[in-house]
Amino acid sequence: MSRALKYLILLLSLVAALAPVYWMFTISLKSEVDHFAVPPPWFYFTPTLEHYYDAFVTRSFAQYLITSAMVAVISTICALVLGTLAAYALARFRLPYDLDRKLSLWILSTRMFPAIVTALPLFLMMRDLRLLDTKASLIIVYTAFNLPFVVWMMRGFFDEVPRDLEEAALVDGDSRLGALVRVVLPLVAPGLAATAVFCLIVSWNEFLFALVLTQTDASMTLPVWIAGRVTQYEIKWGVMSAAGAVAIVPILVFAMAMQKYLVRGLSLGAVKG
Amino acid sequence: MRLTTLLTLIVLLLVITVSCSKDPQQAAHKELTLAAISGVEGDALKAAALDYERQTGVHIEITQFPYANLFEKELIDLNARTGAYDLIMMDDPWFPTFATKQFLTELTPLLQKRGQNGPDTDFVDTSIALCRHPYQTGSLYALPYVGNSQLFFYRKDLFEKHSLKPPTTWDDVLTAAKTIQEKETGSGMYGYVMRAAQGNAAVADFMPIFWAFGGEMFDASGKPTVNTPEGIAALEFMVQMGKYTPPGYASFNADEVGAHLLQGTAAMSINWPAWISKFEDPSKSKVIGKVEFTTLPSGRKPGQAEIGNWLIAIPRTARNTEAAMDFLVWATTAEQMKRSALGGNPPTRKSLFRDPELVAKFHAYPAQLRSLETSRPRPRTPQWNEIENAFGIFLSKANSGALSPAEAMNQANAEIEKIVQRGR
Amino acid sequence: MPKLRRLSNAAVKRHLLPYVLIAPAVAVLLALSIYPLIYSSTVSLQVNDAWSPGNFTRLLSDNFFLTAMAHTFVFAVAALTCEFLLGLGLALLLNSHIRGRGFFRATLLVPMMLPPVVAAIVWRLLLNPNFGAINGTLKQIGVNTESLTWTASPVLAMLSVIAVDVWQWTPFVFLVLLAGLQAIPQEPYEAALIDGSTRWQTFRHVTLPLLKPAILIVLLLRTMDLLRVFDQIFILTEGGPGFATETISLYIYRTAFRFFDFGYAAAMSFVLLALTNVISVVYIRLLRNESRA
Repeated sequence: MSRALKYLILLLSLVAALAPVYWMFTISLKSEVDHFAVPPPWFYFTPTLEHYYDAFVTRSFAQYLITSAMVAVISTICALVLGTLAAYALARFRLPYDLDRKLSLWILSTRMFPAIVTALPLFLMMRDLRLLDTKASLIIVYTAFNLPFVVWMMRGFFDEVPRDLEEAALVDGDSRLGALVRVVLPLVAPGLAATAVFCLIVSWNEFLFALVLTQTDASMTLPVWIAGRVTQYEIKWGVMSAAGAVAIVPILVFAMAMQKYLVRGLSLGAVKG
Repeated sequence: MRLTTLLTLIVLLLVITVSCSKDPQQAAHKELTLAAISGVEGDALKAAALDYERQTGVHIEITQFPYANLFEKELIDLNARTGAYDLIMMDDPWFPTFATKQFLTELTPLLQKRGQNGPDTDFVDTSIALCRHPYQTGSLYALPYVGNSQLFFYRKDLFEKHSLKPPTTWDDVLTAAKTIQEKETGSGMYGYVMRAAQGNAAVADFMPIFWAFGGEMFDASGKPTVNTPEGIAALEFMVQMGKYTPPGYASFNADEVGAHLLQGTAAMSINWPAWISKFEDPSKSKVIGKVEFTTLPSGRKPGQAEIGNWLIAIPRTARNTEAAMDFLVWATTAEQMKRSALGGNPPTRKSLFRDPELVAKFHAYPAQLRSLETSRPRPRTPQWNEIENAFGIFLSKANSGALSPAEAMNQANAEIEKIVQRGR
Repeated sequence: MPKLRRLSNAAVKRHLLPYVLIAPAVAVLLALSIYPLIYSSTVSLQVNDAWSPGNFTRLLSDNFFLTAMAHTFVFAVAALTCEFLLGLGLALLLNSHIRGRGFFRATLLVPMMLPPVVAAIVWRLLLNPNFGAINGTLKQIGVNTESLTWTASPVLAMLSVIAVDVWQWTPFVFLVLLAGLQAIPQEPYEAALIDGSTRWQTFRHVTLPLLKPAILIVLLLRTMDLLRVFDQIFILTEGGPGFATETISLYIYRTAFRFFDFGYAAAMSFVLLALTNVISVVYIRLLRNESRA
């Protein structure tokens, strides 16, 4: 394949990937009368900040941003800690009755049940625990939601780390966990970073559970608030796009910071088989 | 790292998580919680709540959810008796479901405590009838807050230009649509615009045609009768109007219809009064001063609009029934409703439709009151959600060309029959 | 004596360690999956509060259910195929030495990071047949867009929801496959070069077999997500026009929350769960054979 053709394909893919996001940014900066203008103004229009003003000042958008951030970050940390410990044990210990393999499969299979059907029982459960309408309920649910993914990814990474390294540390008098923290974790750090990015994306963007478990503004996250801009008579394209533009920034920044680890991290473990 | 360190870490995570749960102190501060629709109706109520807090010191927390989710949210909450909401806003077709399940507080005793025998006679009769279970005759379980009923919109300037008289029958509408689209060809103008997305949208735009053609959803024994010759003729007419409607209308919701009217690319439409104030707003509209409003056209029967009021009710599980009632009574007084009306929400009080200040601002008010007083509700069955869903699917299919009108109506009838059977 | 006890203590500790490490994760998952499972099983076997298999027998005569199931499969197979082929193509392109690799790699990932709710809303605006930027731009370059009604025609609507999913999730497939490619060592390629293999032969006999684990993993993850797709379609078309893009998750959602028939919704979910399970087991089998080989 010639070099020029390669670049052409890449450029086309780039345009396809970015054009809708770019369009969202322009909508967030256009006044309403321009949203439906024909022909579509891709580049020239009179920018306005009214939608950002509407989102942040009139509708206290920052509050939902903070809720989302808390829920996403805490649930990601919880899933990473619990998931990494379990993955380490599953990768390093052979349990009786083939329990380690059966557990791994069971953990993965908890992700297969359609979320829609778990939503109502979880709602009832959270009601009885008096956790409805709290950030805690979302943190718990997202932790459980991300756990299978973390366990599965991290197990792959741990499998790749030679046992000799830990055994050397163990001989030196380290405890198992000491060896895990001081020797093994640094080696799988890129994998951990990649996993963290995926967990964060999932918790930050999740919609259905957030919708069902939210009763008031106390635990409303961004996606639920954004979906609320579809009113019965009209869709508030401007405010929605402004909110979407703000919502993607933290994830984008984090993912770009971790960019280097994303591919390297993934290539370390799970995908090697 | 030791096991103890590990356990400490896990406990710490738990503590952080639990600390994110509800602060009981804070919970005691908010005195009333209200589930509202996002959009103009909920916004008006939010503004009223702020005033109320200033006057009385009672804090009202209003949470807004989109139309597609509000019903579901309220249904799960009321069914699970969480007591999360002291007041709920609902679209009137949901009312039979909530009332049948006995989720709502009867309001008459609460009104009597406040020295009233029943709801104010100033409320429009068709609106207050929606708040009773059974319809019109039963006990009162809600008060009407927003008095929507469909109106027929048409472009006055185009009708004058092509010397057409204001439409009073569906035949007029068809002729006008044909004329305008033929004569305005090349300008991107469509004769008509409607919405036929499955669900609420298609059904709402179809009902006035269906009724005018003499169709009825159910016979006296409750059996569905949508596939009568009248019903099929009505759907055939709707599909015919589709030729004068912008392409893709089988997926249109109110948003697309509004956009076509505001951009000046469609000449006629059935729509809700919430749009009226937008037509005169230069930042949104290209048709300032060009849109006129009238009641729904007639067919074999006089034209009737579909009513679509927003009601407010108090769940049985409300934590603070008395305070909720105080707010409900206050928010539906003429004085407060006028403020909501100024924000673009049609009132449910006759006196406000005749209020000079409001009529000067909203010149459609006389037509709106006529439309509202002669309007018809969707069938009052607790299964309406499921029936509307099935009906809407087949209406949308006929309009997208996937089924012929007769096939669509036959299949719809069969599905509705199944639903009715299950409810027995 | 004391010395002996300390020793056995340590032994017990070592023996228990894996269980202690696994316990918290298993506890969380158990707590959040057992109750929903019991609840759903119970209600699925009840009709009007009486025990009955009615919900399961109703499945067979419910045209909506059967159609939604068929849509789900069409959607999943089509989206999976496109995502895989595009993702693989892009991964192969970016695995070669090409200038600006890091830049392309980073920017191609952007769609994946947009909340699905927002992505669906943006696409709904883009795909609007009359005012959308896609038809607007096509019109400008002289294409007749009269029949391109996207989300409003039964066939195009399905294509639209597939396209949006492909747009959003190809980056994920691409990322995992790229990682898989980079994990392949150089030696087999060198050997192939010495053998004088053609490019296609190298790809067929070296790259593909070594990439198989990554391929299976990404297919497994995507299949699971595609079969229960909800957010995007719910916002993009709400299942319309008519019933043309109604997938099983949407129908389950409507049944559970809008019609409040939780038993029937649970019954449908068990069917979906069973199918997802069967497909996953096939993938996992293949994967295990692979890692053994």
